[in-house]
Amino acid sequence: MYRLLTKQFIRSRSTVIVTLLVLALGIISVLMGEQFLNKQQRAIDEVAHYQQEHIQQNAQWHADDLGLLLYYLRFTFINSFDPLTALSIGQRDVNSSIQRVTIRGLEGQKYDTDLHNPTNLQVGNLDFGFVIIYLFPLLIIAFTYDLLSEEKEGGTWRLISSQASSPLLYLRYKLSVRVGLVYAVWFLLWVCAQLKLPLSLDMNTLVFIVLSGLYLVFWLALCAWVVSWQRSSSFNALSLLSVWVVLAVLLPASLNSLLANLYPVPEALSTMVEQRDGYHEKWDLEKETTMNSFFAEYPQYQKYSVPEEGFSWLWYYAMVHLGDAESRQSSEAMREKIRQREQASRIAAWFIPPLHTQLLFNDLAQSSLDNYLSFLDGTEDFHEKMRLYFYPKIFEEASVGKENWESFTPEYFADAPEVNGVLAFAPLLLLTIGLFAFAVLNARKLKALE
Amino acid sequence: MLNETSRLIARQFWSSTFRSGVVYPILGLWLLMVAYAAYSGWKSYTTHNHIRSHYQQTARESWENNPDKHPHRMAHYGSFAFRLKHPLSMFDFGLESFTGNAVFLEAHKQNSVNFSEASFSTGLLRFGEISLAMLLQVILPLIIFFLGFSAVAAEREHETLRMILSQGVSWKEVLMGKSLGLTVLALLFFLPVVLITFLLLLFSEGEVLATTDGWLRFSGIVISYVLFLIITSVVTVLISAASKSSKGALVKLLAVWLFLIVLLPRTTQALGSYVYPAPSRVEFEANTEEELIQIGDSHNPDDPHFNALKDSLLSVYQVSSVKELPFNYSGFVMREGERISAEIYNRHLESLHRTYQQQNRFTQLTALINPYVAVKTVSMALAGTDFTSYRDFQQQAETYRYQLAQTMNELQMELISNRAPAPGEGPYAISRQYWSEFPDFEYEWPALRFASLGTVVRGGGWSWVALLIWGVASVGMLTYQAKRAKVF
Amino acid sequence: MLQAINLTKSYGAFTALNNLNLSVQAGDIFCLLGANGAGKSTTINLFLNFIEPTEGQATIDTLDVSQHPKKTKQLLSYIPENLRLYPNLTGLENLEFFCRLGGKRHTNDQLQELLLQSGLQADFIHQRVSNYSKGMRQKVGIALARARQAKVLLLDEPTSGLDPKASNEFSELLLDMKEKGVTTLMATHDLFRAKDTGTHIGIMKEGVLVEQFATAEVSFQDLEQLYLKHMHN
Repeated sequence: MYRLLTKQFIRSRSTVIVTLLVLALGIISVLMGEQFLNKQQRAIDEVAHYQQEHIQQNAQWHADDLGLLLYYLRFTFINSFDPLTALSIGQRDVNSSIQRVTIRGLEGQKYDTDLHNPTNLQVGNLDFGFVIIYLFPLLIIAFTYDLLSEEKEGGTWRLISSQASSPLLYLRYKLSVRVGLVYAVWFLLWVCAQLKLPLSLDMNTLVFIVLSGLYLVFWLALCAWVVSWQRSSSFNALSLLSVWVVLAVLLPASLNSLLANLYPVPEALSTMVEQRDGYHEKWDLEKETTMNSFFAEYPQYQKYSVPEEGFSWLWYYAMVHLGDAESRQSSEAMREKIRQREQASRIAAWFIPPLHTQLLFNDLAQSSLDNYLSFLDGTEDFHEKMRLYFYPKIFEEASVGKENWESFTPEYFADAPEVNGVLAFAPLLLLTIGLFAFAVLNARKLKALE
Repeated sequence: MLNETSRLIARQFWSSTFRSGVVYPILGLWLLMVAYAAYSGWKSYTTHNHIRSHYQQTARESWENNPDKHPHRMAHYGSFAFRLKHPLSMFDFGLESFTGNAVFLEAHKQNSVNFSEASFSTGLLRFGEISLAMLLQVILPLIIFFLGFSAVAAEREHETLRMILSQGVSWKEVLMGKSLGLTVLALLFFLPVVLITFLLLLFSEGEVLATTDGWLRFSGIVISYVLFLIITSVVTVLISAASKSSKGALVKLLAVWLFLIVLLPRTTQALGSYVYPAPSRVEFEANTEEELIQIGDSHNPDDPHFNALKDSLLSVYQVSSVKELPFNYSGFVMREGERISAEIYNRHLESLHRTYQQQNRFTQLTALINPYVAVKTVSMALAGTDFTSYRDFQQQAETYRYQLAQTMNELQMELISNRAPAPGEGPYAISRQYWSEFPDFEYEWPALRFASLGTVVRGGGWSWVALLIWGVASVGMLTYQAKRAKVF
Repeated sequence: MLQAINLTKSYGAFTALNNLNLSVQAGDIFCLLGANGAGKSTTINLFLNFIEPTEGQATIDTLDVSQHPKKTKQLLSYIPENLRLYPNLTGLENLEFFCRLGGKRHTNDQLQELLLQSGLQADFIHQRVSNYSKGMRQKVGIALARARQAKVLLLDEPTSGLDPKASNEFSELLLDMKEKGVTTLMATHDLFRAKDTGTHIGIMKEGVLVEQFATAEVSFQDLEQLYLKHMHN
């Protein structure tokens, strides 16, 4: 039975074309992911190399003034990534994974963007996640939309109704052949990904795999439900495609516009201005005021004194730091706004499976907005660490030569993604089960005649 | 060409589509989406421009409120350039969400333009943005496909096609008629968009419709989209005529939509990035730094270029030390340094942007087979939201920055003494009236120019040609298909 | 009026119509008999210029149909085996639409009159065609032929699927048209109708016209035997 059904299905030209297309794009997406990883790795290698050169060069030029040297020196902080990022590039192409910061004001540095072609960003990535979320549903729709209607329209349904002991069972056989092919393609692509990319089979990867499989089940359930309405091929194709357009294109895009309008982020600009003003106005203020604020935060440096007249590095770095301090409120407000956006989209995602799956993929691959925000927090910690390391040396006017500059290699930030299993699978499972239930109920009413 | 018979067929298509009742829910949903997109575009435009002009003003006030001080400090105090949105961005967001909006302008350093919407996005941006242009480019073709896929195929299936042809109607008349009917239907969907855009432009700040430039852009947009809709309608009818069944036609059209709109642009861009790799920020900065060191780095006390400069100055003015020069020497050094570094940086940036253009070229070339890409490019160019427009902002910001830095340097050269201040004397300062005298950053929109190739034509480039070719070719294809079409 | 001269149509190796030579005089009703696939519909389609002949030509009123598509179509009216109209329009609206396509305009009254003359019941004229039976749709087809003042009528299995009453009505309409000088070429399985209504009969087998004669020359039994004889060879 299966053998014949499989033959009948595979011989159809459209089946072959669609399957090959999805396979081809899937393989391309894996290659794109590999290319992305390579590019990131290359950037990291470059930065490590240039860091050394940069430090050596500047140490030479400013060998007599540590304060001045640290005005120029940039230290590298890298957001490490999991190979899974190749499968779901997420925000990693927009937001840089590499921070090169001086110990001066952080607010003015940490949001510096990488260089990228905005057209690439607008068009979007062809990553594995895209293939799963966008293309596989279309494959499933293409395979199943005319499950029943092709028989009815071809005139063979009457034969089946009269010959088969259970026409419903026949349909189930037919469906399982198609499902089998879908999962065969899915499996092949995962094998390809495993071969080409350095994926480790840890918990995150497994969750990723299971999630992608479960997402496909959702679409199967949806198609089964629509097919159970027993309408024409054209109707089914139109309906299923409309659903796809709504779920995969319209709703997320509308949500995006909605959130952008509900939660604009003027705090980004106010932070820029406040930080600049906060630092610069100190030049014209009484040194005492500035130093008091600085010592209030770092009492350990009270022992160092600032000359009445003239320039001192202690005063300078205090001013710079206070610039950051004064824009802290705006900075936090900005983060809060972004967090609100994140929250809102996660809640909405409960009802929009493609969105839900995409967000989870990003979480697992450490390429989500959350990850970026954590990285920014990590950068702040790193920045503070470097500052506190160098402050006493600058204030004591230590010698440049005494410092082992070669030890300053790039440091890494690692954020362990916490993916709540229940929250991850619940929405999809609920929707899928619901749809299957409806489909089964409808199937009981299977009619012999059209 | 469009004779009485064709018009009859068009009218019949129109009335049968309406009678089947399928148009009304689709039209209703469409109007809902259009309203939402218009609101979204308007809100985004007004909110962002308010925010940006507010902070531009705040920054300006801070600038002017500075007391008397050393001009070099003002050069580091710097200024901001916040990119204002073009009014037509309410219609087509273009690349706006993917390019930065704010840049800090200071001496010695070219900063990046930060805070693009994309950087705040939760990943939703991947799914696209709802704008009026997006609806016209992505959703309306789908609607046209839905409404027209059975235009010819159903007639063939229902065998009414024979009745029509046996009355003496030629295939060409049938195809023309159906295309006309479908196009007019498409224009029914297009009209509310035009109206709403017109109203938005009329009542929003920016007064775009008061200028010739604005009118040209608006008309250009209308014409381009009408052309695009005609092309889409003709393609629908052609595929319907070439397919054996309605179901087959629908599947083919959906495949076309998927391929041309979702898959092809992504693939060609990826290919472009692969073939023309662009440097990372690290590489870019390192390259600029390297060249700077070679040519003349003002931070390096032993730099040969600056040493040579110093020597020649000393001999021209016939003095033995820089302190005796009639102008402030460090101001001079910084002016020279700024000139060099700005020139190097701009050259590298120009080269980077050429690489981007090369990357985009693959997609641009496909405009010839993909009218979606053609209309998208043209639309962005006309709305002032494409890369060329962004680049224009960046250049204006950089020019302003350069002027700011050099003006401060020159003030320093003229007005600040060459000698170090005596102990007890405060640092040198100049009057704060100089700060008010230096104008604020004002972004000027690039205008459409007829005589020379303006930003718009350069931005749209190849796509203009492609769109026109498609427009003409589609009619040609009708004639060609008319010869090949089958009755059953 | 109608002439097929060495008319041949092949699809690759398969020959649907082989060297047909046929002549139908004005006012005749020529019935083409034959099994499925014998080439009857192919002949009709060739006269309609729906397909191109591989060899030979089909002419209507001495005009080659492929050289003068519009002119020849204006002379004829076609009723396919399953005459389909637009289901969402009424019979009257359908008639009006197809008339205008053919370039003729009529008033509503004229069209109504034509429909009534063709036997369509008055209360159906303004109902949507989705409610019509096949017979009723055919009557609209006849009305269309009359409205066009067609000189030639091409019919493809017109009586298949009609009940005896409808079939009879149709025959009467045909004879009425014949009185008005209309030439008819009809492809049919219906031996009875062919003998009853036709003036000439041609028997086709595997693309070849194997017999042709005037109806008056044979009795019904002879016709039946002749037909079966060719069917069995």
